[in-house]
Amino acid sequence: MTTEKRTSATAGDARHGAAIDVRDLHKYFGDNEVLKGIDFHVDNGQVVCVIGPSGSGKSTLLRCVNMLETPTKGQIFVEGEEITDPDADVDRLRSRIGMVFQQFNLFPHMTVLRNLTIAQQRVKKRGRPEAVEVARRNLAKVGLADKESAYPAHLSGGQMQRVAIARALSMDPDMMLFDEPTSALDPELVGDVLAVMKDLAAEGMTMMVVTHEMGFAREVGDKLVFMDGGVIVEEGLPSEVLANPQHERTQSFLSKVL
Amino acid sequence: MASPRQRAARWRLVQYAVLAIVLVAALLLANWGELKRAMFDPDIIREQFPDVITVALKNTLIYTACGFTFGLALGLVLALMRLSSVGPYRWIATGVIELFRGLPALVVFLALSVGVPLAFPDREIPFGNLGTVTLALGLVGGAYMAETIRAGIQAVPKGQMEAARSLGMSHARAMLSVVIPQAFRVILPPLTNELILLTKDSSLVYILGLSYQEYELTKFGREGMNTAANLTPIIVIGLCYLLITVPLSIVVRRLESRAERAR
Repeated sequence: MTTEKRTSATAGDARHGAAIDVRDLHKYFGDNEVLKGIDFHVDNGQVVCVIGPSGSGKSTLLRCVNMLETPTKGQIFVEGEEITDPDADVDRLRSRIGMVFQQFNLFPHMTVLRNLTIAQQRVKKRGRPEAVEVARRNLAKVGLADKESAYPAHLSGGQMQRVAIARALSMDPDMMLFDEPTSALDPELVGDVLAVMKDLAAEGMTMMVVTHEMGFAREVGDKLVFMDGGVIVEEGLPSEVLANPQHERTQSFLSKVL
Repeated sequence: MASPRQRAARWRLVQYAVLAIVLVAALLLANWGELKRAMFDPDIIREQFPDVITVALKNTLIYTACGFTFGLALGLVLALMRLSSVGPYRWIATGVIELFRGLPALVVFLALSVGVPLAFPDREIPFGNLGTVTLALGLVGGAYMAETIRAGIQAVPKGQMEAARSLGMSHARAMLSVVIPQAFRVILPPLTNELILLTKDSSLVYILGLSYQEYELTKFGREGMNTAANLTPIIVIGLCYLLITVPLSIVVRRLESRAERAR
């Protein structure tokens, strides 16, 4: 795992060691340009937090990384493979990128265990015993070993989000994307989910986290990215950006949320 | 002045009284002897058995099951075609749906039984009348169910597809494992309605010209009525229809409440 950090985009091939490498990314919804040329990378083992006001394009950026949104222009490399290449095997690349959604998106017609095993069996072609073993290990990791036969409707929001994290982990991903994972939770449930994410970061998981949790960003993040109006306004060490924002837009945003 | 509670009690009393008067009037005024002779003749009832069950009820069940199964498959295909990104698929599906939803089932039966032999003189619809009834009921039922299934698929939140895709599932796999099972939970009640409608539409098979062994409930009842010059056989087959549809409703209600718990 590399701890090497690079700050500027270089032309040519994907930066070696970068888990996610985004180059000159543009995204339009109709006539509305949501991303206006994003250059950005996440190194292996890094935890990168993306903050910004709503409508700044931070979720769209995250969703472009695993091609849930198709970029209008630009390139994205995942572990050196270009996922934006029209010939890329997007399904295979996605199976290596875990994703956690704001609304959990658990499969409501399946038990918790089945939520964790179905993609292992159907996509990774694991046998059921192996899939169940992996699922149980990950459920234990998020502290929900006793919930494997429950249906999602019977869980609290915090439990659902932890199951969603376990579901993504069961695919043994190289990296995890989090799209405002705690924004839909009751305040007293946020802590459980953040604790699981902290453990994950401590294990060296590569993470890209769109969040409003400044405490998490400061404590766990290796890099903080502030976006506004479809561009990256400022990025750097979380402690520095939060304590001493350089850009006026960053200052005004932070003064409202901190 | 009566209190609201007293007024409500009085009003309830009036409702019970009306109900009682209607029932008593029906009991007293109806010509029970005549009714029994024309519609509930015990000897004729006895004559209907066992064939009303072993031939007629059995055939109604077979025709309906075949038609519904084919219709469900066709409806699913049409629904997926309607949602396809390929234009011609959408247009074809829309055309088929509009055509067979708009035509009376009787017209479809006639078109298939007369038109197909004329168009393909050397070929026959396989399995004879059963094949024709499967095709006709399936086309009519499928056209209705296609729109129901499409609505069901669209009612599944977009995040479900996204979550499945983000785990590496292909579009087809995500549809099959995640979206369609949830869609069917939503549309279970309208699909049951369709099944009950098809059960009754299966009576249109008479137009094909049936041998005795192929009689279904309505045809059996009509023949029985003509032979006995009495309505009793119709009452018997009417009860047989309820014997199919009422338990069906109960089973589906059970399934629904089970799906509700898992939701």
